Amino acid sequence: MLPLIIASRFLRSAPGQTALIIAGIGVGIAVQVFVGSLISSLQDDLVDSTVGSSAHITLLPVDDEQISAALAEEALQQSEVTTAIPVRRMSGLYVSGDQSTPLSITGGDPEDIDSIYGLSERIVDGEFALEDGQILVGTTFADAAATGVGDELELVLPNGESASYRVAGIFDLGAAAANERLAFLDAESVGEALGLGDDDYSAIEIQVADVFTSTELAQRLESPGVEVIDWQSENEELLSGLAAQSGSSLMIQAFVLVAVALGIASTLAISAVQKTRQIGILKAMGMTDAAAGRIFLLQALILGVTGVAVGIGLGYLLIWGFSFAPVDFSVRPSPTLIAISAAIGVAVALASSVIPSRSTSRVDPIEVIQGG
Amino acid sequence: MADVLVADSIEKIYGEGETATRALEAVSFEVAEGEFASIVGQSGSGKSTLLNLLGLLDTPTSGVVNLAGEDTSELSRRQRARLRSDTIGFVFQFHHLLPEFTVFENLTMPLRISGQRVGDAERKRVSELLELMGIGGLEKKNANQLSGGQKQRVAIGRALIKRPEIVLADEPTGNLDTANTDAVYDLFRSINQELGTGFLIVTHDRGVAEMTDRILEVSDGKLVQDVRNDYV
Repeated sequence: MLPLIIASRFLRSAPGQTALIIAGIGVGIAVQVFVGSLISSLQDDLVDSTVGSSAHITLLPVDDEQISAALAEEALQQSEVTTAIPVRRMSGLYVSGDQSTPLSITGGDPEDIDSIYGLSERIVDGEFALEDGQILVGTTFADAAATGVGDELELVLPNGESASYRVAGIFDLGAAAANERLAFLDAESVGEALGLGDDDYSAIEIQVADVFTSTELAQRLESPGVEVIDWQSENEELLSGLAAQSGSSLMIQAFVLVAVALGIASTLAISAVQKTRQIGILKAMGMTDAAAGRIFLLQALILGVTGVAVGIGLGYLLIWGFSFAPVDFSVRPSPTLIAISAAIGVAVALASSVIPSRSTSRVDPIEVIQGG
Repeated sequence: MADVLVADSIEKIYGEGETATRALEAVSFEVAEGEFASIVGQSGSGKSTLLNLLGLLDTPTSGVVNLAGEDTSELSRRQRARLRSDTIGFVFQFHHLLPEFTVFENLTMPLRISGQRVGDAERKRVSELLELMGIGGLEKKNANQLSGGQKQRVAIGRALIKRPEIVLADEPTGNLDTANTDAVYDLFRSINQELGTGFLIVTHDRGVAEMTDRILEVSDGKLVQDVRNDYV
């Protein structure tokens, strides 16, 4: 208790020095909190835009066979699975003059389709409707084909015949490639075009709660006659990019911590020199070496805890400030990351007090007393 | 009366080999409870070294220091620190108050260091001690707001707070003017008489030593004289 009182009194006796070092730790932790939250939000958004509105796992029949909707029901039994829908896929060719544009058409129950692709919220023109003969196309395609809501769209189907569908809505999935290539029909229209039976589907599309569990789940969903594709194995480049980004962000944070540690260590070393006389007096009065050493450990603890608290506040302030930046992206504070930063910050503060604590415990009261 | 402090053939050598310096040589004497004694000697005679050894701030190269009936030669650093804090009060030439603390906190620091609670009884004792020092009512002042004489009195009060058996004072008035010097010695004397606390005062000033009951003279690291003083 006494070392704590002395530690806090020492800190208060040099308010400027104390404020400076707390500010130093605060800025360091604020950078940690902000950069860490920025990177994790950025990655979440990137993953979300990559797979947020598409299937995380797709079950395909082997050898151009068809697949049964019962597999979707089975997949739903897995706890991680949030959505599993049977779809029918076909390609269609839009021909205009001597130009032709291929479309990748997904047919399914409107509610099912919406649960994966979130189309009802992404319609920019017209409405989300997939009644008999209605088609939904992307913005890029609509522009290129100069087609609009209510127009008839004539497509060449895989069997060589032509079919005409009415454009009910135009969607924007946030990626030009998807807006150019994807189109949606009702399940029956695709079934008719492909001549499929009632329970014949081309694929089961699955979404899971945590996208990074897809690989493990994919292994469990494997069964004879079914090919299982998960988004992670198809996006290895993206994932290794994310890993590299996380690595460099960790590196930045590590260097910030080193700078913070050096700051605390040098301040405490100076303080230890400044307070040598007091330490000598306390020892002459019977204070043990261990108790004297604890004074600086406790100073470091006070500085660490206060600095970390200031840093977290400052970090939140930065995140709040960033919300006014003219970018289409928001930084969300990550509590786990902040807790880790705080713990490491305090640990680093304590570690940097080791040298001054040791030199304090070696102060010889005689030298101090006789030196005046 | 029992001896509170015994020096038995103590010797202190600094350095090793050719550079070795013998600071003290075969010094032996006893100080009884409640004695009012002084150690006098020229600068460099070894008197401060002697005080450091007697106060357990340093250990002799050979010989034994016996404090409050305890042989200190086998004690650990920690045990010596404890024994020192329980039996000895120190007063130095420089007041050595902690500038970050108030007079009250400085006075009670030795109690806190030995883990004692500072309650009403201690508060009362502090105000009595301050009255005795002639600086009553200064409890809440910060230590560095006091004058030199006041600081030295607080330092003396601090030396007395744990009711030590003996006060070791190293040139306690070296930084004070004549008026303050006389006042401090009067204070020592009255504490000695009222509280029965023993005093061992190290000084280079023969005139100051003459104010005590017993004069131990150190010269070239040896105890050359040990006389009762009938001046008083």
